[in-house]
Amino acid sequence: MVDAKSKVVDALDVETFLICSSEEEGRRTAAGLMQSMGFNDFDLVYIQQEGIGARVRLRAYVNRPGDRYTWLEGGGPND
Amino acid sequence: MTEKKVLLSPLDPVHDIGLKMIKNALEEAGHTTFLLPPDVSPGEIVQEALDQEAEVILLSRTLGYGVPELMGRFVDLVEGAGIRHRVRLGIGGMAIKPELAAELGFDQGFGPKTPIEEAVAFVEGRDYVPTREESGKEKGDLVGERTYRYHHQEIEGLLDQIVEKTLQWYRRVQTPGIKRALLREQGQAGQASYLELSGESIKEFFASKVLPSGLRLIEGEEQQALEKMIAGGRVEHPRILQRQPHQPLVFIQYGTGCPFMDIAHIKGTEAWGADGVVHFDPSWGAKTEGLLAGLLSHEENGSVLTAENLALIKEAVEPSTLWQVRAHRGLNTPETVFLAGEAGADLTKINPVYGSLSGGTDPERLLADSLKAMEYAAHYGLPFDMPTNEELSGVPAFRAFAGMLIVTHLGLALGAQPVLQPLFCYSPEMMLGGQMEDNYLDYNAAKVQALRGIIDAPIWAGAPIGFLTHTEERVQSAVSTSFHAAMAASLDIEGISIASADEAYSGGPISLPARIDTLQGVGEAFRFLGSARMEPTSRAREWGEELTENILQVLREVARGDSLLDGIYGGLLGTKKEGAHPGRNGRGTVSPG
Repeated sequence: MVDAKSKVVDALDVETFLICSSEEEGRRTAAGLMQSMGFNDFDLVYIQQEGIGARVRLRAYVNRPGDRYTWLEGGGPND
Repeated sequence: MTEKKVLLSPLDPVHDIGLKMIKNALEEAGHTTFLLPPDVSPGEIVQEALDQEAEVILLSRTLGYGVPELMGRFVDLVEGAGIRHRVRLGIGGMAIKPELAAELGFDQGFGPKTPIEEAVAFVEGRDYVPTREESGKEKGDLVGERTYRYHHQEIEGLLDQIVEKTLQWYRRVQTPGIKRALLREQGQAGQASYLELSGESIKEFFASKVLPSGLRLIEGEEQQALEKMIAGGRVEHPRILQRQPHQPLVFIQYGTGCPFMDIAHIKGTEAWGADGVVHFDPSWGAKTEGLLAGLLSHEENGSVLTAENLALIKEAVEPSTLWQVRAHRGLNTPETVFLAGEAGADLTKINPVYGSLSGGTDPERLLADSLKAMEYAAHYGLPFDMPTNEELSGVPAFRAFAGMLIVTHLGLALGAQPVLQPLFCYSPEMMLGGQMEDNYLDYNAAKVQALRGIIDAPIWAGAPIGFLTHTEERVQSAVSTSFHAAMAASLDIEGISIASADEAYSGGPISLPARIDTLQGVGEAFRFLGSARMEPTSRAREWGEELTENILQVLREVARGDSLLDGIYGGLLGTKKEGAHPGRNGRGTVSPG
């Protein structure tokens, strides 16, 4: 079976709204979320706390420019 | 084809427009239809099917709550009425997932965006074969019918004077960049005479074949895999974003750092509607004397400029895509345009004023190199644009535009086709003055009005549009780009460079999905406006007139001076206080020719 993650062209973004009382708490929760999904190398692209929680966008790069791309090893779009 | 009796009914309290369109198509195809209004109960629909002896029932559902229960109950009622064996059941709409419809006993479910022809095929009991017409996308033309005629005679006269003096100077000078370009023309790139004119890192690379730190050579299986991907990844039906002929061509700037990732971004954005793609190399191609060679990758801003990288990318670019290779800031400007021409590029970018006033290259060196580059641009038929991004440093638009008009006139004198590139941005000069607090439209419209009042030249706003208005929030960023695109369409300009939704994110490389976000947004903006226009307030005209007057004053001062270079070094096209700092790379390398 094809490893779906290997087909991600560059980055995987996770977008959600986290219930939290401060942006700082949101950051910690966001980090925990990504780690629970198996991403230790990730970045918080955007966070904004309003009201009951924070709107967040998190990013994990699966392939960065200059890497040996996982999608290339698996072949192109016709494979 | 046998005529069918088709009962159409929204299983929905309000929405039925999709069914009305299908009803029209079915009647046109010769079928008999019965359309029930919204908010009819499942029991009433089944009774109507019995009364009309319907052979097909087509339902629709837009609202998303309670859908599986409703669908299941409907199928039960049809079975209870004893007609399931002779009635085909189909359901479609925004709330419908085809898999769920099949699971609940429908013969077919149609998801959002189902073509009407597919519903007709279902009624007629035949397979639906998508007949996707060729998109007919053709390569755009930025210059089009623009005549390059001046509407402002005094400005034209001043530009004549400035250009005459500048070209006289140019005929008397030489630079290492010009000499290398001539050697490259003769096939001597990388040879001893070329390396004598190159920087240490380039000399070492050719002497030892050891790559400078951070660069990686791509070869072997990796290269073969990419070639296979290119062959299988042609974009047969690229989206067309524009809905009207006056809406501008849309460019994205790739420059991921790696030609392979560039190609992935190019193919992705072509499919989503990009009309043009821009290659830039602010690191190796701009900062070092001489160019590297080979298929090279690195993780840095921009993609390494080599003949091999360009050839590979050209192979991947669709025939309908405009391909620009930028050359406007560095020490390899003439070589870059030569390489662009040889590689089959459609456009290039040359701007000795911006390229030498926001740091970067020494003005004298870049001016000489740029004039040689313009000769190449003319030879290869590459229109070139000139960004006025010095505005981002705080240089007022009128000074930047005076410089842009001088470069335009130089290009015309050398037989090239210049393309004006005003910046559509939250102008720092206006930020300080507070004039753009009310809207982003008036001042940008004023820029276009001023330029259009001076010369009939193509305008390609950049770069990217909406500069300094984007935030890290994806939707805000894409929406801001989309509004600026709508503004560009309203002002009848020829092209725009758009940012990705990652524009304000500095934590990593721009992602392909972020590029698609803004292409989607721009497509929606063009769809929203169609032939309509955004309307600036009367301030746009006032500011446009003010800009023209100030441009005129600057050109008078430059023309009065001994040379264009005196004007540049002397701050006429941007003072140090305003943020224009003449670059130092290549200083002292211009010699008598």
